[in-house]
Amino acid sequence: MKRALTIGHHDLRLFLKSKIAFVWLFLVPLAFVYFMGFANRGPGDPANPRPPVRVENLDDGFLSRVFFDELDAQGMAVVDPTNRAPATAGIRVPADFTARVLGHQPVKVEFLEQAGSGAGDAALIELRVVRAVIAMNSHLIELVTHQGEGALTNETAWREVMGREEPVRLEARFAGRKPVPAGFSFSLPGILVMYLLMNLTVFGGAALAAERRNGVLRRFAMQAMRSGELVAGKLYGLMLLGGVQIAFFLLVGRFGLGVPLGANLPAVLVTLLVFTWIAAALGVLAGGLIRSEDRVVAVCVLASLLMAAVSGCWWPLEVAPAALKILAHALPTGWALDALHQLISFGAGWAAVLKPLGVLTGFAAVTTALAVRGLRV
Amino acid sequence: MSLLRVERLSKSFGALRAVDGVSFEVHPGELYGLLGPNGAGKTTTLSIIAGLLRPDAGEVVVDGRPFSADPQRAKRIMGVVPQELAIYEELSARENLEFWGRLAGLTARDARTRADELLAALSLADRAREPVKTYSGGMKRRVNLGCALLHRPRLLLLDEPTVGIDPQARLNILEFVRGLQREGTAILYTTHYLEEAETLCQRIGILDHGRLLAEGTLAELQHRLSGDRLFVLEGDLSGAAPETWPGFGEHFQMIQRTDRQLVVAARDRRDPADCLRELLNLPVRVENVTLKRPSLNDVFLQLTGRELRE
Repeated sequence: MKRALTIGHHDLRLFLKSKIAFVWLFLVPLAFVYFMGFANRGPGDPANPRPPVRVENLDDGFLSRVFFDELDAQGMAVVDPTNRAPATAGIRVPADFTARVLGHQPVKVEFLEQAGSGAGDAALIELRVVRAVIAMNSHLIELVTHQGEGALTNETAWREVMGREEPVRLEARFAGRKPVPAGFSFSLPGILVMYLLMNLTVFGGAALAAERRNGVLRRFAMQAMRSGELVAGKLYGLMLLGGVQIAFFLLVGRFGLGVPLGANLPAVLVTLLVFTWIAAALGVLAGGLIRSEDRVVAVCVLASLLMAAVSGCWWPLEVAPAALKILAHALPTGWALDALHQLISFGAGWAAVLKPLGVLTGFAAVTTALAVRGLRV
Repeated sequence: MSLLRVERLSKSFGALRAVDGVSFEVHPGELYGLLGPNGAGKTTTLSIIAGLLRPDAGEVVVDGRPFSADPQRAKRIMGVVPQELAIYEELSARENLEFWGRLAGLTARDARTRADELLAALSLADRAREPVKTYSGGMKRRVNLGCALLHRPRLLLLDEPTVGIDPQARLNILEFVRGLQREGTAILYTTHYLEEAETLCQRIGILDHGRLLAEGTLAELQHRLSGDRLFVLEGDLSGAAPETWPGFGEHFQMIQRTDRQLVVAARDRRDPADCLRELLNLPVRVENVTLKRPSLNDVFLQLTGRELRE
């Protein structure tokens, strides 16, 4: 065991001595996370998008403020007109909004489409506005019914009613399909899984092939140690390398890109750890079976890209054909992404990822057994 | 008791019999040379002893116990220097030595101390912290050698440790190896350099086509050529047929023959002057006759019919 740790620490030091390692461990994957996240960006929480709406409020009465709070409660991000942030629609509240409502007169709130926004966004905002108007009317009826008409002019009374728990609540969910991960919440796990696989197989396999070429593997075999210790050391070194990449991505993702890592960070880490084990074992297997370093790199890069594409690292599997979904779940990348999206994008806990973790552990055991059998000095 | 005993070792790769019934022993403090041309079976023999290959037949006994009975024990006794530079070129000499020391079972502190000793002994201390890739060929060879010595092995297997380096670097390594032998290390040294075997090894085994053709001290091997002198005849020998010369076959053994040269050894211990007279009376025009002590190459010639350098 001591020798395995020595080999692992030694290998990590060797990997990190290579300048090119930093490019492939950090820079290139980070660029991919950014571009893929940008290309797959969504309106926010994929389960409950909050489209930004630019609001022009000409009214200085309290009811317009109450109305905006209701819009916010219904799921719209209210954007100040002075803010240059992109908005998908606009709403203009007239100057006499409060006075006309309190005077029992109809009032028109203008709904403005923004150039460049899609029809889907506009429809979603219109729906939210309608819901906000209905909610305002409900609050109004409740106020008059319970406190009399005099309460209508009391902002505190309005807010008290708004703050009450709804007597009836409708919970709506996507029917027939899962919500679609989007933005950096989608790209970070996908690209991390792809580059973990690529880097650990390429670095692990090429390093083993080089060690075989220059006789270092034979020197290992001539030491008073068992072959299992050598494989364990190689796996440990690669898993340490994977750990470095995971730590970097989770920190940059959380604090640089604002990706919510879900309520269950330990489950995220365990999932990544098991996947790292698989990738490390595949690296040792590649290095054991393929003699030339160039071939190891070519095979591992190609296999990693294919597995990543098929498994939903590049685009959400939720929008992929059924055959691709089946294929994805024949691969460890598919199961790893499944678990990570559950945890990161949809806030699931341990229960939701037990099955993917079980399958991934099975993959890890099989690939490790193959790596032990395939290692030739 | 011998520290290494190899008994009737055999190994084939398909139809090729790489090692064929090889037996020899190496004693503590002895430097045993395994001499042979490329492809003779030296590295295969050494690989079997080191546990890299399994023999088809025969046995390796290390310090009185068969290797197969406890490979880990045998490997702890051995240090192996492979022919290739099996070191990490990105790392410094110190880092290489310390790493292999840790794998040999030393603590971090002991590995550091031992690495210091070896760096000094191998004249590498000045550049110990520089990456090995910046070293000369000779320095890399010394690092390669040092990596096998961290755990102070009692038996050292050296597989052509001076291949591809300049004469001065070779002399440095040979002197270091002699020092190890003087300290009591049993050394099995494979080489295809005659001079190394002649000057370094106490006993020499000559290997060709996987078979150990002869073994002994240099003097014993020379004595195989019926004495300690050879006669070299020079002249136009292109049409000569020595086997038809009267009395030649009875008195002389032909070692080598070319169109210009004939090397022979006397079959008995007669006076050299008598031998010279007989040779000058042969039915062939001889321009020059010289007398020389037999070399290992002559022994190899006599055993195999070809020069080791071919």
